[in-house]
Formats: sequence, structure tokens, C-alpha cells
Amino acid sequence: MNQTLKKTKRVITILILSLSFILGACSLPGLSGAPENTIRIGTLNTTESQIMGQVVKQLIEHETDLEVVLVNNLGSSIVQHQAMLDKQVDITATRYTGTDLSGALGMEPVNDPDEAMKIVQKEFKERWDQTWFDSYGFDNTYAFTVTKELAEKYGLEKVSDLADVAGELRFGVDNSWIHREGDGYQGFVETYGFEFPKIYPMQIGLVYEALANDEMDVVLAYSSDGRIAAFNLKILEDDKKFFPPYDTSLVARNEVLREHPELEGILNKLVGTIDTAKMQKMNYEADGEKREPAVVAQKFLEEHHYFEGVE
Amino acid sequence: MVNLLDFLSVNGIELIVKTWEHIYISLIAIFLGIIVAVPLGVLLTRVPKIANFILGLLNVLQTIPSFAILALFIPLLGIGLVPAIVALFLYSLMPILRNTFIGIRDVKKDLIEAGIGMGMTEWERIRLVEIPLATPVIMSGIRLATVFLIGWATLASYIGAGGLGDYIFSGMNLYKPEYILAGAIPVTLLALVTDLFLGKVETLVTPKGIRKSKAV
Amino acid sequence: MMDVFQDLLNYYGQNAWYVWEQFYKQFLMSAYGVLFGAIVGIPIGIFIAHHNRLSPWVISLANIIQTIPALAMLGVLMLVMGLGPNTVVFALFLYSLLPIIKNTYTGIRNVDPAMLESGKGMGMTRLQVLRMVELPLSLSVIMAGLRTALVITIGVATIGTFIGAGGLGDIIIRGTNVSDGTTIILAGAIPTALMAIIADAVMGWFEKRLAPSTRLKKNPANQV
Repeated sequence: MNQTLKKTKRVITILILSLSFILGACSLPGLSGAPENTIRIGTLNTTESQIMGQVVKQLIEHETDLEVVLVNNLGSSIVQHQAMLDKQVDITATRYTGTDLSGALGMEPVNDPDEAMKIVQKEFKERWDQTWFDSYGFDNTYAFTVTKELAEKYGLEKVSDLADVAGELRFGVDNSWIHREGDGYQGFVETYGFEFPKIYPMQIGLVYEALANDEMDVVLAYSSDGRIAAFNLKILEDDKKFFPPYDTSLVARNEVLREHPELEGILNKLVGTIDTAKMQKMNYEADGEKREPAVVAQKFLEEHHYFEGVE
Repeated sequence: MVNLLDFLSVNGIELIVKTWEHIYISLIAIFLGIIVAVPLGVLLTRVPKIANFILGLLNVLQTIPSFAILALFIPLLGIGLVPAIVALFLYSLMPILRNTFIGIRDVKKDLIEAGIGMGMTEWERIRLVEIPLATPVIMSGIRLATVFLIGWATLASYIGAGGLGDYIFSGMNLYKPEYILAGAIPVTLLALVTDLFLGKVETLVTPKGIRKSKAV
Repeated sequence: MMDVFQDLLNYYGQNAWYVWEQFYKQFLMSAYGVLFGAIVGIPIGIFIAHHNRLSPWVISLANIIQTIPALAMLGVLMLVMGLGPNTVVFALFLYSLLPIIKNTYTGIRNVDPAMLESGKGMGMTRLQVLRMVELPLSLSVIMAGLRTALVITIGVATIGTFIGAGGLGDIIIRGTNVSDGTTIILAGAIPTALMAIIADAVMGWFEKRLAPSTRLKKNPANQV
């Protein structure tokens, strides 16, 4: 009895182990293509990331015979970075200069967008053999936002313009920003030299409606959120460059770029094609008009004729 | 390995708290499930035609993935402890209700006859004959439901209800393997221990005569 | 209520191909899981049916695997096998084992010994007995096991979204992340529920068709 038991246990273990290896390595028809011919794009669980991921995916599929798979719902930039290092994804669709400068690179924040871009591009190439492409053209940063009416009334163009009227304004802001170190409220007061006596902490998702419904006068929002365009709101310029830059680009592993030389040209076509206003609009199409990011991406690419004929 | 030990020394108390949260959510849901489903099951045996329909309906509902049901509750009840418990409670209803119904329905007619012969009222028959004889089957349903709940309570943390799922999600989102393990291992142990324990209880409440004839 | 319904129709109108893509992906993952579960599980079930002393061990092991909470399983497997659908398929394979092994075992054990005797009496080899007597008579029960496995795998595949595997879970999660995403949550949850319900119904139909009495009735000449 012992013999048979042992034998059985061994057989079962071998069966299960071999299956896991096979599965891990091979490709299941319909789910994932052969590894040499598949490009995997990692996207965060944000609408913006998923839209850009789909844009890259559909563009590559349109221009080449490669199979492209999205690895969706990555939880944070850290996961994106790690997934690239582990070679589980070949491209990450939305990386932000400010985030990875202090995150992945562990360096001091840099306030000038161009300098930040130069640094990440250099470091990512040297440290990890990855290419940080030039920005799509938009950034996603903290933005002081007001209604257009208020901006006209007080002549507000820049954040510094708020200094005179801050005393009368109701300021809606995400709870965590108040206590945030570095680019939180304390840092803000030091840099800009004025305070907001009337602060109302709330969930970040609620600030847009609050502003539009005149429940708040000024809020701290995310600059590429679709509701800014949809509710006709105005972003004030961060003239003292208090917030680090969060220009958005895609990052690709050089190994994959070498294996498929045609990719670099294709990916470069997307550089500078989407400004902040456009990203806001696409975000709104997805969240407000309930279109799936895949569908929004398709529309975008069709509008631009898949960038055919563009260098 | 070092990471894991580090983690335990720093987060030991939090781990205990989260484990307790997890047990708490599961226990309340299963408790509610029992006090609703068992009486309901008994009731259903009195109306066999409707019962079959309802059971059929429940069977269909039970195939629906739990996460879909959990997510459906977000717009209805919001996030937090309450919607999580409600969703889990609903999911526990089906196995318990079904097993109670089947268990009681299958109590041998002659034993009920005997009860009637002894002058028992309906209520007494339920209490002294039917439920005791159906207990093994009911217990089996409770055991199934409980283990199931412990497993799916991990998803409850996705809607802010706390529990060991918090660690698993944090670990996935921040790429911290030690967090994933800190959530996965305790919850698996919890499920296994509960299954074992309730299995013993199930054997205990099975009258000796029936025990032998139970197949695997 | 009507509002939401209208919204939903709107949603499906705009996003039909994407929803189908994810539906297909999720179903494929589940199907693969059950397929591999069957390839490994049915032989194991047959084996322990013939070597009964082993059955408590094997079934307990499969039971233990079954008890592991799905999210925990996916989380740990992700650490070993990486992100993506293949990892999910492996988890689904594991979860298919218990229903398939147990049902195969039960089905074969329940074959009327008289049938086995007559088979042996007719000079059949072990393999022939298996192929011509045991399996045909257990088919319905085995199918029930496959059915249970499929429903379970569809359920687990729904949370595959957390390790980047895609599927309808992607839509559900997006709905939870967007403010006022009720429509999107519903739009993802409904096809998921339907997939499970339909799969269960279809497999149930097969199960009935394969039940020995039905088959014998249809083809009287097939009397064993």
C-alpha cells in the first residue's frame, strides 16, 4: 500500500509540475500568442492609462503582424516598473516623469519639466536599457482649478493671482494632500506665501462636481481629468512651479525594440499628438459617456488615420 | 524570508486585527444566513410546488460569480462593511437553504408518522423529529457555506470592508510580495482549519447509525 | 430604473465588440482550465476508483486545493508564474480537479458490478472494460463534474482581472473606479452572470442526454 501511495503521489506531483511549466512557458491559442511574436503592454487601473494602452495596442496591430496583449489593472507605478524589470510587459503605456523620478529612480524631485524628462530618459537607458519616449503631449499633475466665471471676475490666470482673494474662497481638496510631504499644503504655503483659510477636505472624485455646482470656489484637481473640459473649468498656471512635472510618456524595453526594429518608428508617431485638452476630452468620453477605453482609442486612431504617412 | 519576519515583527498586531476583521465579517454573514435560511428551508418543505421553483431559481443564482454579485452591491449599498456582509449573507443563503430543504424533505415518512402517532404538534415534530434527523445535511450546507464565505471575504476588502484581502490587494498594488503572503497564508489556514473543524462538528451531529452509510 | 436600462443599452451599443472580446477571453480561460482539469483529473479519478485505498488521500488533497481562497491562490501564483491569463488558467485547472476527480471516482465506483462481471466474462481486457463498460456508464456523472468545474472556473476567472488577465472583470473594475459607474458595473456583471448560467444550462443538458437510461432508450440495440 505504501508503494502505491508513494508512486501515486509522485505521479500526481510530476503531472502538476509539468503542467505548470508548460502553461507558464507556452502560448494558449486565443489567449496569448507565441512569446516572440507578442507584445505585452502594461496599463494602470486608470482610465487614462487604459486609453493610451489601447491606442498603442491598436496602432501596433494596425501597422504590423504582431499580436498585442494588454496586461491591465497594474496597481501603481511601482508595479509597472517591476513588471518591466521582470520582463512581464514590454511596454508601459503611461509613465509620469515626476512619479518615476522620485519613485523608480529614487532621486530628488526636479521642477523643470524639460530637465526632468532629460534625466529620466538618460537614467532609464543607462540603468535598465529602457527607452523613455518623449511625451505624448500632456501631463497629469495637481492643478488649481476654478470656474471660467470666477477666473474672469478676479482676473485669474496663475496660481499667484489667488493670493489676494484666497481669504474669501472655499478651497476643496483631497484629504491626503493636506498632510502630504513635499508637494502638499505645507510646501505650498512656503512656496507661494499665502494660505487658504477655508479648506474643505473631500474625496478627489468629488471636487469637479463641487466646483461646477458652486459648492466650492477653487479646487485642487488632476489636470487631465475629463470633467475639467466637460464642466468648462479653468486650470490656473503653476507659475512658481511648485508641483513636480508629470509629463506622460510610454516606456519600452530596448530588448523588444531591437527584436522588432519597426516598433520604434511606430511608437514615435504618438509623440506630441495629444495635448492636455485632448486627453481630458478622451477621459471624459470614457468615464462620462461610458465608452470603453478600447473604443475611445479606436476613434482617436481613426481620426488620425492611424498616423499613416507620418514620420 | 527575512522580509517576512521583518514584516511580522512590524505588523504583527495589524495582522491579528485584520484576521479578526475577516473572521468577524464571515461569522456575521454566516450567522445571518443560518437564522434566515434554516427556518425558510423548513417552511419550504410545507409548500413543495413553490419550493421546487424557488430551489431552481436559487440554483441558477448560485452559478453567478460572487465577484459580480459583490460588485452589483456597490451602486446599491455603497462601500464598506454593510454591503460586504449583505452580499456574503445572500451568497450563504443558497447552500444552507437548499440543504435544509433537502434534509428535511428526506426525513423518512414513517418517522414523521410516528411523531404524529405520538400526538406531537407540527411544531414539535419539526423541533423533535425533522430538524434533528436533518441536522447532518444542514450542517454540511453550513460547512460548505462557511468555508466559501471565508474565501470570498477576501474580496470584501475591495469594497472597503477590511479583512485579510487588504494585504493581498496592497501587495499586488505596491508590488510587495511579503504583503501578498501575509494575506494569502493566514486566510488559507483560516479556511482549512474551519473546514476541518466544521467537518468534525458534522460528524459529531450525525447520529451513529447514519454515519457508516455515508459515502465519500 | 429606466434610466439605468437606457444607459445600459447605450453602453452596449457603443462598446459591443470590446465586451465580446472580454467575454470570449474569459470563457476561453475557463474552458482551458476545465480542459486541463479533465486531462489530468479523469485519469486520476479512474485510477483511484480502481485502487480504492488511495481515494481518501487523493480526494482530501484535491479538497484542500479547493479550499484555498481564490484571491489568495491567484496572488501567490502570480508571484511564481507572473501576470497574465496563463497563470489564471493554471489556477482554474487546480480548481477543476476536485469536482472532476470526485465525480469520475463516484461514477466509476457506482457502475453495477454485474456489468463488470459480464464484461470480464465476455473476455474483455481491463482497458476494454474501462472503455466499453465503465466510462459509458459513468459519462453522465463525469459530465456533472465538468459542469461544476466550469461554473467554478468562470467565477474565479472573473477576478483574474486583478493579475492582468483581462476578461469581463476588467469592465467591472473600471466601473468601480469611475464616479457614477453603476452602468459600467452592470454592463460587466450581467454578461458574467449570463455566461455562468448558460454554461451551467448547456452542460446540464449534456448531462441529461448522457444519462444511461436516456441513451439506452434512444438506441435499443446498444443494450450492454
